[in-house]
Amino acid sequence: MSVALEASRVTTPHDRRTTTIGAIMIGLGLFIAVVFGLVVPSWAHSQLTFDPINTAVHAPWHLGALTVETRWTDTLLGLVAVALGVEVVLRHPRRAMSRFGATSILFLLALLLWASRTSGPATVNFVDLTAVLVGSSSLAMVLIYGSLSGVLCERAGVVNIAIEGQFIAGAFLGSMIESVTNNFWLATLAGALAGAFFGWILAFLALRYMSDQIIVGVVIVTLLAALSSYLNLQVLTPYPQFNLGNLAPNLAIPLLYKIPVLGPVLFNQTGFFYFAIVLIAVISFGLFRTRWGLRVRAVGEHPKAAESVGINVVATRYRNVIMGGAVAGIGGVSFMATQGQFQPGYTSGFGYIALAALIFGRWTPSGAVVASVLFGISSYLAGNLQGYSVPIPTEILGMFPYLITIAVVAGLIGRVRPPAADGVPYQRS
Amino acid sequence: MRVELREITKRFGSFTANDSISLTVEPGQIHCLLGENGAGKSTLMNVVFGLLHPDHGEILLDGEPVRFANSGEAVRRGIGMVHQHFMLVPVFSVAENVVLGFEPTKSLNRLDHDKARREIRELSERYGLDVDPDAVVETLPVGIQQRVEILKALSHDARLLILDEPTAVLTPQEIDALMGIMRSLAAAGTSILFITHKLKEVRAVADVITVIRQGRVIDSVSPETSEPDLAALMVGRSVSLTVAKDAVEVGGSSLELRDVVVRDDRGLVAVDHVSLSVREGEIVALAGVQGNGQTELAEAIAGMRHVESGQIVLGGRDITNRSPREILDEGLGHVPEDRHRDGLVLSMSISDNLVLNTPRRAPFARRGTRQLSAVADNARDLVQRFDIRTTGIDASASSLSGGNQQKVIVARELSRPLVAFMASQPTRGLDVGSIEYVHRQIVAERNAGRGVLIISSELDEVLALGDRIAVMYAGRITGVVDSSTSREDIGLLMAGAGREH
Repeated sequence: MSVALEASRVTTPHDRRTTTIGAIMIGLGLFIAVVFGLVVPSWAHSQLTFDPINTAVHAPWHLGALTVETRWTDTLLGLVAVALGVEVVLRHPRRAMSRFGATSILFLLALLLWASRTSGPATVNFVDLTAVLVGSSSLAMVLIYGSLSGVLCERAGVVNIAIEGQFIAGAFLGSMIESVTNNFWLATLAGALAGAFFGWILAFLALRYMSDQIIVGVVIVTLLAALSSYLNLQVLTPYPQFNLGNLAPNLAIPLLYKIPVLGPVLFNQTGFFYFAIVLIAVISFGLFRTRWGLRVRAVGEHPKAAESVGINVVATRYRNVIMGGAVAGIGGVSFMATQGQFQPGYTSGFGYIALAALIFGRWTPSGAVVASVLFGISSYLAGNLQGYSVPIPTEILGMFPYLITIAVVAGLIGRVRPPAADGVPYQRS
Repeated sequence: MRVELREITKRFGSFTANDSISLTVEPGQIHCLLGENGAGKSTLMNVVFGLLHPDHGEILLDGEPVRFANSGEAVRRGIGMVHQHFMLVPVFSVAENVVLGFEPTKSLNRLDHDKARREIRELSERYGLDVDPDAVVETLPVGIQQRVEILKALSHDARLLILDEPTAVLTPQEIDALMGIMRSLAAAGTSILFITHKLKEVRAVADVITVIRQGRVIDSVSPETSEPDLAALMVGRSVSLTVAKDAVEVGGSSLELRDVVVRDDRGLVAVDHVSLSVREGEIVALAGVQGNGQTELAEAIAGMRHVESGQIVLGGRDITNRSPREILDEGLGHVPEDRHRDGLVLSMSISDNLVLNTPRRAPFARRGTRQLSAVADNARDLVQRFDIRTTGIDASASSLSGGNQQKVIVARELSRPLVAFMASQPTRGLDVGSIEYVHRQIVAERNAGRGVLIISSELDEVLALGDRIAVMYAGRITGVVDSSTSREDIGLLMAGAGREH
C-alpha cells in the first residue's frame, strides 16, 4: 500500500533499495561464477549423492549420485544469480527480498559444490546431500523456536534479546530433567518453564520498572551463561548421570519418510521438529487472523490506542513475553535433544542468530522461518566444511547471518520496519 | 445522554489538575470546554473516558453514577472520544482500527472481516462520513484519519462524543466540515463535549461554554460572549488578541531560498523546489497544515537537514549545507519547532541554556576555559530583560513552564547580532500571555530591520504576524499572498487548491 503511494511520488526510495539489493546480488553472482567457477581446474568434479552415506539414516531408495563439473556448474549458478540481480535492478520488483533469499541459497549451494570438488582428476569425493539437509534442519529448527519467541515478544512491543539466555536455561534444565526421568515430555515442560521464568523476569523489569529492555536482556544472557557454567562445573561434571545427553528419538511418519532426500529431512525427525512446524502455523494464524493477534499487534504498534479501547497493554505484554520465553525455552531443550550433552556455551550465539532471523524475516513468523532455514544451512556449513578442502576459514561463513542482518538494519537491503512501539516502555497517561 | 460531572478532582502528586469540577451536558447539546494549554481540559476528559480515575467526585450518566475501570467500559456505556493525538494504529486498515477492542469474530476467535466492513459501511452511511474500510490508515490524509477517529468513536452507539482539540490538524474548510458533522450529530440527540482553546470555533458551534483555568471552572457563558471577554476569562486578565504592527521600510534580501529540494527521513521529497525571499524589515509567515514539508524546510535552513539541490542565501552569503554551527555564526536566529528536542538541554541550567549556541566564544569562554561569571551575568541580564519567570538562573530548564522555556530560547537567539530570524511554531503550547509576549518580540525584531520567517500551522498566528503569507502544501509553495487575504482563500491554498508555483 505505502509502496504504491511512494511510487506515485518521486519513486526513489524503493528503487534505490532494490538497486542496492540487485547490485549486491550481481556482485555475489560474479563472485560465484569466478571464484567458485572459472578459476577451478576443468578436471574437478563435484559429486552430490542422494543416497545417504550415513547408514543411520534409513534410506529405502537408490538414486545414485549426480556428478557435475565444478567449474561450469558453479559458473552457471553464478550467472543465474547475476540474472536475478539484473532483473531486480531493472524492474524493481516488490518481492526483491525473496529473490535475494534465492541468491543466498545459490551462493550456499555453489559453495558446497566448490568445497567438495575432487582434488585430482581421478579422485572421488561424495557429498551426502541428505546429511547436509538433515544437519541444517535441526539447526534451523532451533532458530525457528528462537525467532518465533522474538515474534511473540516484539509484536507486543518488548524486545527480547534474552533468547540466548532462555536457550541456555532450557537446554540446561532440559538435559538434567531428561537424564533423571528419561522423559522428554517432562524435560520439555521444564525447559518451557525455565524460559518462561526468565521471560517473566524480563517482562517484570521492563514493564514494572521500565528498565531498558536491551540491557535487561543482555544481563539475563550474561547471568545464565555464567550460572550454567558454574552449575556445570559443580553439578554436571561430578555427577555425569545428570547430563546423559540422550538424543530425542526420531518419529518417522509412515510412508512420507520414504520420499528420497526430503523424507529424512521433513518426515523422519524428532517431535521437537514437528512441534516447531505446528508452532509456526499456530503463531502465524493467531497473529494475523484472530482477535488475539489484532490486539497484540495494536499493543506493539500503538499502546495508547489499545489502552483507549480497553485493552490491557501491560497484561498483554506480560503474557506475550512469558509465552515467548517458554517458546525459547523449548528451543533450548530441542537444541540439547538434537546436539547431545549440555556444555557451557554450546548454544554459541544461536539466540542472537535467531534475533537476526527475526529482523531479516521482518517480524513475521513466515519471514522468520525462511530466514531461519537460510541461516540454519549457513551455520551448518560453517560448522562442517572443515572436512573439505576449503582454503578459507569457515568462521567467515559463520558471520553470514550477522552480515546479512547488518545490511538489513542499515537499510541497505529492504525496508525494515519493526513494530512502532518495539522496545518503548509504556506508561499509562 | 445527560452527563453530569460532580466535583471531579484529579491530582498528580502535589499538582491538582482538576479541582472539584462540576458541569452538566444536556442531551443533544454541544458543550464547549474552553481553557488554555495546561488548564486541565484533557485530564478531565480522560477521567470521563475512563483512562484516568478521579481522586474525588462522581460521573452520572442519565442520573446513574458510574465508575469505569478502563475506557472499554466507558465505550460500552455509550461514550466515544476523538483524541487530540489520534488513537489509530497507522499500519492497520480503517476497519481494523474501528473494531479494535470490540472485534466481531467467527469460530476460533477469528476476526470477521466481512462483518467489520459491513459495520463500517453502515456507520459511514448513517453519519454521512465516507471512508474506505480497507484503506490503510497511514496512507490517508489527516482529515480523513480524523473521520476514521470520529467513526470509531461513534461506532458503539455513542450518545456522548468527546472531541479533544479536534481542529489542530485541519484546514479551515475541514474545520467547517467538522462543525457541520457536530451540528447534525447534536441534532440527532448525541451530546457533545468539545474541547478547544480557539475562541472562534467555540463561538461558532457551542450551545454552552464552560471556561476552565488552572483546573477550576471559572464560569459558564453563552456563545454570544465576545472574543476578548472569553480570552479574559480564559487567561484571568484582559489580553490583546492582535499585535500592534507599524509599517516598516522594507530593505534588501535577508534570507532567500532558491529552488530548494529536501527529503524527509523516509527519503521522500518533502520540500519540492521551494523559492522564497524574506527581506529586511518584513515578516514572512509560512502557513500550512502540519506535515506539508515545513518542518523539513526549517531544518534545512538551520543546517540540520541535507539540502539536495537549490540554494539558501543568508544576507548575501551562501549557507547551503553548512553546519548548524556555521549557520548560527553567519547570523541566523533559530527557534526550533520542538523546543524539548532541539531547543534546550532540559537537564542543564537556565544560564547554560542561554549560552548554548555561543559557549566557546568570549566572553563566555577564554583559552578553552568557561568563564562562569560571564555566563551568570548574561543569564541574570536576559532573565530580567525577557521576563523569564524562574526560581533562579541555576534552576534546570525542565523546571520552567512551557512559556518560560520558550522565552529562554527566544532570549538566547535574539540576544546576539542577527541577519535573519526564523521561528517554527513559536507559540505552540503556550498560554495566551506568553503568546502575546513572544509575538511582541518577533515584531520588535522585524522593526529593527531584520528579516523574519515564521513557520506556523496556526492560521490566527499567521494572520496576526505576517506581512506576507506564503502557503505550503505537499512540499510546494501554493501561493504567496498579503496579509489582508481572507481566511477562506488561505484555507484553499492550504488544501492545495492554489496556482502552481
